[in-house]
Amino acid sequence: MADKLTTDIGGDPAGPIPLEGRDQLFWEKQMIAAFNLLQVKGVVVTDEFRRTVEEMPADYYAGSTFYGRRLDGMVRLLIEKGVIDADAFEARVREILESGTRDHV
Amino acid sequence: MSTHDHNHDHDDHAPTREDDDLELTEGEARFLALKSLLIEGGVMTADEIRARMEFNERGSPHQAARMIARAWLDPDYKARMLADTKAAAAELGIEATEAALVTIENTPERHNMVVCTLCSCYPRSLLGEPPAFYVSKAYRSRAVREPRKVLREFGVEIPDAVDIAVHDSNADLRYVIMPMRPAGTEGLNEEELAALIARDSVVGCALPVAPA
Amino acid sequence: MRSKHEYGKYSNPERVIMSETTPSYAVGDRVRILDIGKPGHVRTPTYVRHKIGTIERFCGMFENPEDKAYGRWGLPPIPLYRVQLKQGDIWPDYDGGPGDVLEIEIYDHWLAPAGEATR
Repeated sequence: MADKLTTDIGGDPAGPIPLEGRDQLFWEKQMIAAFNLLQVKGVVVTDEFRRTVEEMPADYYAGSTFYGRRLDGMVRLLIEKGVIDADAFEARVREILESGTRDHV
Repeated sequence: MSTHDHNHDHDDHAPTREDDDLELTEGEARFLALKSLLIEGGVMTADEIRARMEFNERGSPHQAARMIARAWLDPDYKARMLADTKAAAAELGIEATEAALVTIENTPERHNMVVCTLCSCYPRSLLGEPPAFYVSKAYRSRAVREPRKVLREFGVEIPDAVDIAVHDSNADLRYVIMPMRPAGTEGLNEEELAALIARDSVVGCALPVAPA
Repeated sequence: MRSKHEYGKYSNPERVIMSETTPSYAVGDRVRILDIGKPGHVRTPTYVRHKIGTIERFCGMFENPEDKAYGRWGLPPIPLYRVQLKQGDIWPDYDGGPGDVLEIEIYDHWLAPAGEATR
C-alpha cells in the first residue's frame, strides 16, 4: 500500500466542527479569482494544484489554513512550472513587507 | 456575517475593499507579490482579475436557493433539475462552471449530506466559496464516519428511522442537496421560499424551517 | 524550465468527455474498491479501499487525475462511477442506523468485481 496522502483524512479522529466563520478578505477573493484565471487559461490544472498541496510536509499541512494552502500551493506550482521565479518572488515579498503598503499593485 | 447565520447568506454585492484598514499581513504580501509577478509576466491583467472577482461574486447560496424554491413549486422543473442540474441552472440564467453537477433529493426516508474528504470540492457556482466548517479538517475527517454526531453539532437531529447518506465529493461531480419543503409554507411564493433555503441546508447540515 | 508559450499543452479544467466506450460495470453490480498501491496523486481515499459496495451510477468519462496532476493530458478518458457502501461495511464500530450509506466516486481501474481476490 502506498503511503497515505497528508490530505487523506476521511475517518480520522478530530475535534468539534468549527461553526464560526468569517467573511473572505479582499486579497483572498483576489487570490481565488487569480487562481481561477490560471485554471481557465490552462496555466495550471486543478489536479496539479492538489498534488502540490499533497507534497507539502505533513506538519506544515496539519498547521495550515485553507487560504494559506491555496496561496503556497499556487506559488510552489508556478515556480515548478517556470511561470514565476522563486528568487524574484521572495524579493518582491520582502519589498512589499518592508514598505508595509498595498500600493505596489 | 457569520458562517452559521442561516438566513443571512444572500449578499450579492460587488467586490469591495472593506478591509483596507487592516494591517498588511505576510499572507497578503505574498499574494500581492505573486499577483504583481503574474501581471508583469503577462500571464493575466488586473482587469481580468477584477472581472473574474465579479463573476465569482455571482456564485452565492442564493443561486441554489432559487433553483430549489422553483423545484418545490414546479414538479417539471424539479424533474429537470434532478436529471440535469447544469441545464436547470442555465434555465434560471446561472452559468455553472462545474464539469458536472448532481442534485440529490432528501426524502422522508433518507437525509443526505456532502463532504469532500480530500480537499474542498464544492458547487461554487451555486453556493459561492465554501464556509469554514466545510473546509475544516474536523468536518472532512468526521462527516464520513459519524454523520449523526456531526449533524448534532449543527443542531440537526435525524431520527433513527431516517437513513443518512453521506456523499464524498472526492472526484469530478459536485453535489447539491435538495432539502424537503417544510410544512407550513403552503402559501409562500418562490422568492419567500428561496429565503428559507440557507447555504448549510444545501450541503445537508441544516434543515429549512417555515417562518414563525 | 517551461516557457510560457507551452501553456497550451495543458488540458482544460475538468470536463466531461463524451465517448462511445462502454462502462465495465452496470448499476447494481457489486464491486470491491482496490488499493492499487499507486504513489502520488490519487482520488481514492484510504478509508474505502478494500471495501465492497454497489455501483450507484455511471458518471461519465473523465480525464485521469492521476496523470493530470503531473502535467500530462490524462487521456484517454476513463470511466467514473459512484459506488454506494453500507457504513457498517466501512466502519466495524459504526454507531448510526443500519441503512446509513456512503456514496463516493471511484475510477474504473480502482474497482474489481466483488468476490475477486483483494490486491
